Amino acid sequence: MYQVSRAYPYIFYFSLTLYLLSIFWGLFLTPEDFVQGNSYRIIYLHVPASFISQSLYMAMAIASAIFLIWKVKLSVYLVRSIAPIGAITTFIALVSGSIWGLPTWGTWWVWDARIVSTLILFIMYLGLISLHDSFSNHEKADKFLSVLVLVGSVNIPIIKMSVEWWSTLHQPASITISDKPAIDLIMLYPLFGSIIGFTGIVTCLVILSSKLQILKRERNKSWIKSYV
Amino acid sequence: MNIVKLELLKLKSKSRGWLGPILVFILIMVAFPLTIEVSNKELGQSFFSVLWIAILLVMMLATEDIFLEDFNDGSLEQFAISDINLSYLVGAKIFIYWLLIGVPISFLGSVFCMGLTNSIYLASHLFPILLITSYIFINVFSFGNALSLTKGSVLGTLITLPLLLPLLIVLGKAVISINLNLNYLGFVTLLLGVLSIIIFIAPLIISYIIRAHLE
Repeated sequence: MYQVSRAYPYIFYFSLTLYLLSIFWGLFLTPEDFVQGNSYRIIYLHVPASFISQSLYMAMAIASAIFLIWKVKLSVYLVRSIAPIGAITTFIALVSGSIWGLPTWGTWWVWDARIVSTLILFIMYLGLISLHDSFSNHEKADKFLSVLVLVGSVNIPIIKMSVEWWSTLHQPASITISDKPAIDLIMLYPLFGSIIGFTGIVTCLVILSSKLQILKRERNKSWIKSYV
Repeated sequence: MNIVKLELLKLKSKSRGWLGPILVFILIMVAFPLTIEVSNKELGQSFFSVLWIAILLVMMLATEDIFLEDFNDGSLEQFAISDINLSYLVGAKIFIYWLLIGVPISFLGSVFCMGLTNSIYLASHLFPILLITSYIFINVFSFGNALSLTKGSVLGTLITLPLLLPLLIVLGKAVISINLNLNYLGFVTLLLGVLSIIIFIAPLIISYIIRAHLE
């Protein structure tokens, strides 16, 4: 914990600087989009938030599997601390998508597979928090939370692939591993920067939240007393 | 086999448990046309949305106390320490619930479909989809109610309903395909695939959860 405590301020400030620089680059130094005009610039918030909201759930699923198989308590603390941050990033993705939708599609909201599945992800995050908080016995709550996270992870590929599987207003992913990016390089570089920066900021928040979770849950242990 | 018989007798003796959800389903399906003052054709269009939501609601109500009574009277604890596999008991319970509640509701759903859309073709093709769907719903809600065993069904519904919503998109597409006389077997195969995974995995997960509750 000591090493993490020392490392995370550096990661945080580096990520914040990178994110702010990418935002500045994206907002002021890239040209206007031919079709969408200036409204596309919200991509530097929307895409990182959407990417992180799904990635955090996958991280929770891996941590839950580690907890259920190897009984590593730290991994379930991580799951519990990721849940609210995941909910916030999903909310940011939904709101920024909505704001982007108004000038692009002419409406705040459409009952579209990708958008509804992201809303479902948001509700799932809230459901996970409710489930864990409704049990006073933490050991039971940890087990139930891990099982639900693992079962719920079936929704992640559905959210990811919804733009491919269903006819939808939402555009397909602009960046994929296998294909050439559908976005111009001048817009792509700040987008990469914003994704990396946002990921770094969220990672630091997860570290901080996990630290609080460990302190809260292990408060009666002697090592915590000596640490504090 | 004895466990299946025992569960069948237990549910049959409790008419509130199996007849109640069926009657609630009938009431919803009868009540919804009263709220729309439109031609019969438009009723048929909104029928499917109401049907899926009614089935979701009724399955949720039906499985509300699927494990609660056995948990409260100690039967689940006895089963857990006996030689009988707990996941087998869970599977049997879910099967009986589907047999006494899911099958009649699927049949009634098809009957209402025939009445409201005036299409025997649509109703007859809808029936197998309803059978598969109701079994999936019961499995998933049983999972939710096992998680929130002592905390009420609202929590169980909150955590399991999001898992079922992608399935509703598939059901919507399947109905459109049947309506347009397109090949809908792909959707049925997908539903069967989901069911065949759930039917084996759900009892295992639920028995793990019940054991955790009993600890």
